[in-house]
Amino acid sequence: MSVKVEVSHDGVPHNTVMMKNGILALFFLYIAIAAASVAGDGSWSYPAIACVSGGIAAVFTLRWGNSTIKKLCSYGIGTGVPSAGMLAFGSGVIAMLFATKVNPFLVPIAGLLVALIVGLILGWISNSVLNMKIPVMTRSIAELAAVGCLTLMGLTAVATGDIGYDQITTGLTDPYASYISAGIIAVAFILGAIALQHPFNACLGPGEKQDRTDLLAIECGFLSMIVMAVISFAFVSQIAAWISFVIALIGWFVTYRQFFALSKRDAAAWLDAKPFSDAEE
Amino acid sequence: MQEIIIGIGVTAFAGALAAMAGAAEDTESNIGSQGDPNSQVQLAPQMGYTHRIYNKAVSGEPPAYTLWVTLACGIAWAFTMLHVNAMLAIIFGTVLATFVQGIYATTAYLGRTASLSKFGQPVFIDVLKSVTTVTMAHAFVAILTTVAACYLMSTMLQHPFALPLLGIVWGLALGAAGSATGNPYYGKERQYQNQKFGAGVPISASGNIVRYAEAGQRSSIDNGFFTAKFGGPASGLCFGLIVFLELWRTVLFEHSLDNWGAVGWGAVIVGALIIVLFMIIDRYVEIWARTNYGPYTAEA
Repeated sequence: MSVKVEVSHDGVPHNTVMMKNGILALFFLYIAIAAASVAGDGSWSYPAIACVSGGIAAVFTLRWGNSTIKKLCSYGIGTGVPSAGMLAFGSGVIAMLFATKVNPFLVPIAGLLVALIVGLILGWISNSVLNMKIPVMTRSIAELAAVGCLTLMGLTAVATGDIGYDQITTGLTDPYASYISAGIIAVAFILGAIALQHPFNACLGPGEKQDRTDLLAIECGFLSMIVMAVISFAFVSQIAAWISFVIALIGWFVTYRQFFALSKRDAAAWLDAKPFSDAEE
Repeated sequence: MQEIIIGIGVTAFAGALAAMAGAAEDTESNIGSQGDPNSQVQLAPQMGYTHRIYNKAVSGEPPAYTLWVTLACGIAWAFTMLHVNAMLAIIFGTVLATFVQGIYATTAYLGRTASLSKFGQPVFIDVLKSVTTVTMAHAFVAILTTVAACYLMSTMLQHPFALPLLGIVWGLALGAAGSATGNPYYGKERQYQNQKFGAGVPISASGNIVRYAEAGQRSSIDNGFFTAKFGGPASGLCFGLIVFLELWRTVLFEHSLDNWGAVGWGAVIVGALIIVLFMIIDRYVEIWARTNYGPYTAEA
């Protein structure tokens, strides 16, 4: 038994957010795959396109996931918000590794499908076997698994410039130090999991506004992209890594400043070195 | 023999690094008010108690520290691949992880406080400036020492895990040690110093946390002063012991049963024995405390 707490009333409906960001994320993942498939040895322009579009795909996916988390966690799952991020990326890793084995141009779609299946099973277990009885649970967990999978693909593209199985199991500077064997996928996992849960977790409260939370999701996406772009120096050419790093830095800086402005708009007061006035005093 | 001597040295050094990490971690999380005591900081304005305490709601400490440490490990690995000196690579990784920590801290404080506007809780820019930088400084120490310990395990002890995976394991352990050991001290003592000692926290006192210092209104920056006395060192001891005993049993006993065909099982058995030993000690301390202090009784 759970009581639904209404979050933002004034917002764009969740289905619209999901469709818009999901399609955009897939579009940018396909740009990344196309750029990676035509990239020749030593070129930097196509890997740069692949890295940047991977990062943008991750940002759009995180916006979708943020909306899902908000919908799921409006049923009074307070401390469960961070766990939802972990669960999403746990199932996302399985789906992504499974999907990378197929034809490169089927990777995002295959990942999406596998993640949805894994998520539906997990959602069914939590709702019916563990008896959580939350109406949107099964659908939300399935969506979160898909979000985890697509975000991981995006972050993987930022770091390695590709999503294929061969590319993530062989390294550039050292053939045995690859994205998988060096454990960089663990960095992508935890980076994405925290970035997915943070926007709603940080903005929850009675004064939560959809545009502010959404902006924070974009900010978290670019922040994750900065980190993956720094790591990408070990995998892609220097110029490509610098391009994705600078673009991530600009995207993060703009959204971070904008988030300050929106917080100032919503806050009760914006005080600098002034005391609060207490009703009891 | 030489291998074991190097192993013992690494064990002692990693244990010392971990003790520093634990102490810095708990101090950091208490200054920023992270972890479970933060629920009272979140609740206070809703009960009518406006305050100047930081609200670093990133997530629980274990996931948050998993992120900072894993990040630093991943970046350190990338820089060593680019032939940067290992110590410098660890510092680069730590600097970037501390930057990410600071960004997450500020957005959490701004987001949570702005969402409490209904209850008249203002955003304090001076708190944001002063407290964030202090938590970042403590986080830097905690992350640097943990990543250094992970690097020692990976290179000197030839641990089979990759550096970022060690970061996940030890970051999670660091956050858990700080959260389990240090938080009760902050949540039940510091936040409720204005309540009668030993009275527990009655429902009516919920949200009525300490908001004033000796002079004027306090921010959570002096939680560092408070935690450094006991909560921080206790967490440091806890995490230091975890790392030390874990490496000690592996270095000394990993091959002790190899002649009987049970390769590697020596360390597992010693690990189980250590757990049993600690369970006995814990039970003894619990019974001792209960018989000496007893249940709470109202003063006549």
